[in-house]
Amino acid sequence: MRANYRINSGVRFEVLSRDQLEELFNGVLHVMDKIGLDVHHDEARDILSKAGARVEGNRVRMAPHIVKKALATAPRSFTIYARDGNPAHDIHIGPGRAHFGPGPTPPNFIDVETLERRPYVKNDARIVATVVDALPNIDFCESLGTISDVHTDLAAAYEFATMFPKTSKPIVAWSYGWDDSSDIHKIALAAAGGQEAFEKRPNYVHYCEPLSPLVSTFDAVDKVIFAARHAVPVIFTTCALAGGTAPVTPAGIIIQTTAESFMGLVLSQIIRPGLPFFMGGVLSVMDMSAMILTYGAPELCLMMAGATELAHYCGLPLWQTGGCTDSKCLDEQASLEGSLSVFFSALSAGDLCHDVGYTESGMTGSILQTVMMDDAIGYARRITRGIEVNEDTLAVDVIQDVGPDGHYLYHDHTMRYFKTEYWYPALCDRHNFDEWVADGRKPMRDRVVDRTREILATHEPAPLRPETAEAISAIMEAAEDRVRNKT
Amino acid sequence: MSQLIEQITTGVIEGNIQGVSELVQKALDEGLEPEAILQSGLIIGMNEVGRRFKVAQMYIPEVLRSAKTMHAGQEFLRPLIAGGKAGRVGKIVIGTVQGDLHDIGKNLVGMMCEGAGFEVIDLGFDLAPEKFTEAIKAHQPDLVGMSALLTTTMRVMGHTLKAIEEAGLRDKVKVMVGGAPVDAEFADRIGADGYGHNAVSGAELARKLVNAA
Repeated sequence: MRANYRINSGVRFEVLSRDQLEELFNGVLHVMDKIGLDVHHDEARDILSKAGARVEGNRVRMAPHIVKKALATAPRSFTIYARDGNPAHDIHIGPGRAHFGPGPTPPNFIDVETLERRPYVKNDARIVATVVDALPNIDFCESLGTISDVHTDLAAAYEFATMFPKTSKPIVAWSYGWDDSSDIHKIALAAAGGQEAFEKRPNYVHYCEPLSPLVSTFDAVDKVIFAARHAVPVIFTTCALAGGTAPVTPAGIIIQTTAESFMGLVLSQIIRPGLPFFMGGVLSVMDMSAMILTYGAPELCLMMAGATELAHYCGLPLWQTGGCTDSKCLDEQASLEGSLSVFFSALSAGDLCHDVGYTESGMTGSILQTVMMDDAIGYARRITRGIEVNEDTLAVDVIQDVGPDGHYLYHDHTMRYFKTEYWYPALCDRHNFDEWVADGRKPMRDRVVDRTREILATHEPAPLRPETAEAISAIMEAAEDRVRNKT
Repeated sequence: MSQLIEQITTGVIEGNIQGVSELVQKALDEGLEPEAILQSGLIIGMNEVGRRFKVAQMYIPEVLRSAKTMHAGQEFLRPLIAGGKAGRVGKIVIGTVQGDLHDIGKNLVGMMCEGAGFEVIDLGFDLAPEKFTEAIKAHQPDLVGMSALLTTTMRVMGHTLKAIEEAGLRDKVKVMVGGAPVDAEFADRIGADGYGHNAVSGAELARKLVNAA
């Protein structure tokens, strides 16, 4: 029996103190109360107004108690379920748990065969989902692109319909609006067994992106309303550029993007109290020479860690960002930027870390980057798991047993722990020089490509039930009918 | 006198908006020709800004401030220069296409174009194709600039270009496009005359398209 003994399970990491978080939180409340946000959606303004928000034209302001009420009903811990009931693919959102996955909608993709950059096509969604399903450290799926070879209005619906059969890991879906949100939801319901079953075991998350600074666009708000009415866990995240569309200082951008996200929070919780909600957003800096949103900047890691701490302070999970790069190819820069942001994300335990596989500042998706980052995430997760201290791990009796000049190689204690205490990389090479030469002197990037192609050649994701597959075909046929005469 | 001109040049480079207007007034008071103030002071300064940006000695926020300064000085001189042209190289109508509320990039292009000597007519954002055709008829610009940030709205640029064609206005204007998801290949595909990857290259492109570069 021990008293007043503190255990650090995992590695301690903290950017902001409680006092600093309180100041940031008060800043957010001030923005929402005094400055307000523009909400370009009549019904949403009406809903907010009835809940006590002050509406003047498009501008919506709300007193702190309205925000705090929404925070009180939004859950900190919940589960997103694998479509096939495989518990290893469920995602348990809660303190100290970082999950990783790719990101949405770049226009281009790195072809897995030619390794060239080209427009993203439907088959790429199949490739991404299959590889995501196989990777041990990737927990959820996004497509890494916008499908260019189907009717434009159906790009998001086809993406979901194509990925869903190829991975049982939960998908984070985006959409253009109500119609394709509805297509996606019907597909999810077909697997879940109807709306009631879905509400018990939600199997996907819906992603909505409003605009910085301080604008809730019609589409983003409409999708939140859709998600809330259909009990779909929802992400409401802006993608702000410090120095461009948000204050240049990390504290300032965190306040602004949190206020932007909170508009979605309040709306979702008014419509359906208790709906799982992920706070956004993507925080990075505008490079003042290249004029791009950088995905490889240290400020991204730092600001995302600060935002994560603020979300957790407020009792919300966060939509994290990492494993991304400004590099144009699978090179040292991609590895450096991706690995460090993954590590920071793991340390801050932001709840869903997306954009693993973003390259070229978000312009090109690369599943090769995702595969390389799978190893970086494994590495980071081993570190964040920390050092376990108990009678058995202290091993004083083992040290006595082996004594001076002995060895531990096949000691019971070693046998008991060496597989769980060590992390083994899938890609980082630890062979001796001769072995490496014999294996073709392959640099990391070649091993990444080999592993990706091997997964695609061999991995069999859990199949859909035949009736689910039929339902998806019917849903997509109906969707095609809907857009047949639209340009 | 040359000292005042030099100070105006330096003021543009440093982005001293208030200071340059005062210096221009002072130069006029001392009897300097408006055309000389413009050509030897303001424009020389802005050219230097462009050069420094290219060799990474200046950053975008500084360039924008300089453009704003340049524009302020130019507006000050405009009524005093015969014909009212005052270094004007052309007229451009700009806007963000329908469905898209993102207008910061477009605003930056507008500022840079003003700094580069254009008269800029900013139509705003979320603009239906006919807003562009109406504006071309009303303002008779040399150039039209379209912007979109979203992969979901960039296709509207194509629709807008089609509307311009159908209104029989395509040969009256050059069309340039920009925005994060846009690239040269896309610009080519929809039949635009050019693509700028940022505000500075957008303004440069505009000058090229009116043969002022």
